[in-house]
Amino acid sequence: MKILIATVLVIILAGCASAVKVSSGENTLGDRLTVTLEGPWNQIKAPGLGPAQIWTMEGMPIDQLLIYTGLKDGEAIHATNSSSKSKTFNFRASMEPDEIVSLFEGMLTRDSSTYKLVKLEPAGFGGGKGFRFEYSLVRKIDNVKLSGVGYGAISQGELFAIVYQAPQLTFFSRHKRRIEQLAVSARIKGVSQKQGT
Amino acid sequence: MNRRRFLACASCASLLQVASLAQAASGDGWQVPARIPRPDTASDEGGLWALMDREEQKLRRSPFRIQDQQLQSYLQDIACRLGGEHCPDTRVYLVHTPLFNANMAPNGMMQIWSGLMLRADNEAQLAAVLGHEIGHYVARHSVERLRDIKSRSAVGQFMVLFGLVGAVGRFATFAGSFAYSRYHERIADRIGLELMSKAGYDPAEAATVWENLLMELRAKPGGDPTKSNPLFATHPPAEERRETLMRLAETQPGGVTNEVTWQQKVAPYRREWLADEVRRGQHEESIALLTRKIMRSPQVSDYLFTRAEVYRSRAKNADFDDAIRDYQAASATGNEPSETHRGLGLIYRARKQIAEARASFERYLELAPEAPDALMIKSYVEEMKT
Repeated sequence: MKILIATVLVIILAGCASAVKVSSGENTLGDRLTVTLEGPWNQIKAPGLGPAQIWTMEGMPIDQLLIYTGLKDGEAIHATNSSSKSKTFNFRASMEPDEIVSLFEGMLTRDSSTYKLVKLEPAGFGGGKGFRFEYSLVRKIDNVKLSGVGYGAISQGELFAIVYQAPQLTFFSRHKRRIEQLAVSARIKGVSQKQGT
Repeated sequence: MNRRRFLACASCASLLQVASLAQAASGDGWQVPARIPRPDTASDEGGLWALMDREEQKLRRSPFRIQDQQLQSYLQDIACRLGGEHCPDTRVYLVHTPLFNANMAPNGMMQIWSGLMLRADNEAQLAAVLGHEIGHYVARHSVERLRDIKSRSAVGQFMVLFGLVGAVGRFATFAGSFAYSRYHERIADRIGLELMSKAGYDPAEAATVWENLLMELRAKPGGDPTKSNPLFATHPPAEERRETLMRLAETQPGGVTNEVTWQQKVAPYRREWLADEVRRGQHEESIALLTRKIMRSPQVSDYLFTRAEVYRSRAKNADFDDAIRDYQAASATGNEPSETHRGLGLIYRARKQIAEARASFERYLELAPEAPDALMIKSYVEEMKT
């Protein structure tokens, strides 16, 4: 995520990025995901970002919410640069939750940040079966201790997920309830309550 | 002393020192230079020291520093054996970063990264790298490099690099790996070998370090690391370096490796450093590293388990078969990590071998009931019962 943050900062400094208000209420994200927000968020928009939408409450790089709205089999879970030789972490539709969480772990530690999985458990997401995980991270670039929480589910071979992280001090606890509410509100089109991951 | 006179003197001293070190390269009669006094704060070298002092303050507080007093003392002792009278000026810091690197700043701050600790097979191999870094230090290559850049009116470029020093040791990485010329690297290699020999280490291990690193980098898809890796851009050509080190080592045969002591000291951290290696996601490099480690220490289950994890993560062609073989070999040692059984369970589950998957997951839960993913694994077991 440091690479993501650095990319976003460079883009912002270069004047190419914009922050767009995401309003309260129901929002459709991508083709199949809807979430209902209790309050507004800010979405960072800029060329070259993706595949996840990037939202923030406090502003980058303090807190970030990544939202995956249907990542397809074989796609990287982070922005890629064709000229870059750095390792990419790609989603496979056959992955189990443990393996998906390992993907996020790989992405978050690409800059040698230290990561520790705190909990991984089954949880509903998107209207069906999914998983929930918590982690802690010490960010390499500034030594800040972060906490993170994520939810995910695979539907029709596509990955739907949210991953939020913020400094342990003050910010994570300030927004954790909002994230949990957002996760509970998420609905994936075409998923029934009985459907598994 | 005014600034201009200081620079002139320093430059002369530096040139004399280089000449003497170049002589060292040829072998006979070389003596380790005297301790480096703290430079005048108004000088360019003083500025460099001040900058490094600030970085060192940050490093002392960094959460990435591995603060194990025993291990710290052990590493400091190795550096002191190599550095001799420079020991009081050398301060070693072990840093949690899963890459092969060590560096020494001009003020005596030495960083050793955990990726290097994982890769070294014995004390002599670490000593080879530290000796090389001490070689840069005693020869004051950072200062030479600074003056060289200044003389080319490229101060701006240098200062931009300083400006990027937010992360601990970033400059030191730059100075230690990228900024030195091939000439400096050759001198540091030879000084390092000399220091190894004086300290009683087997100098032949220096060429082995280089060979091992090359083997890893060559395993990486994308061709010749000497063309793609910046480390090799400023270092002497790999073959030349290895051959030179081997030739020099032949002139000073003998010495110890202290492998048993080394293995005992690093064993408590091995699993953590191996987990970092898996997270890097550099499958081919990791497999090359782990295959080498398994050949050297076939009884260590951690290496077998970790290679299995890498195969499972890569998941291409026969990778699952190779992973199962390694998980089972790790399990046969009787001291395998509990996650060995989780890995087996995930592969069996993917292959719809339900009975085997259940048995493996249940074994994992039995060994690690408080694991962070225990609830998830339990859900797999429950699901497979239905």
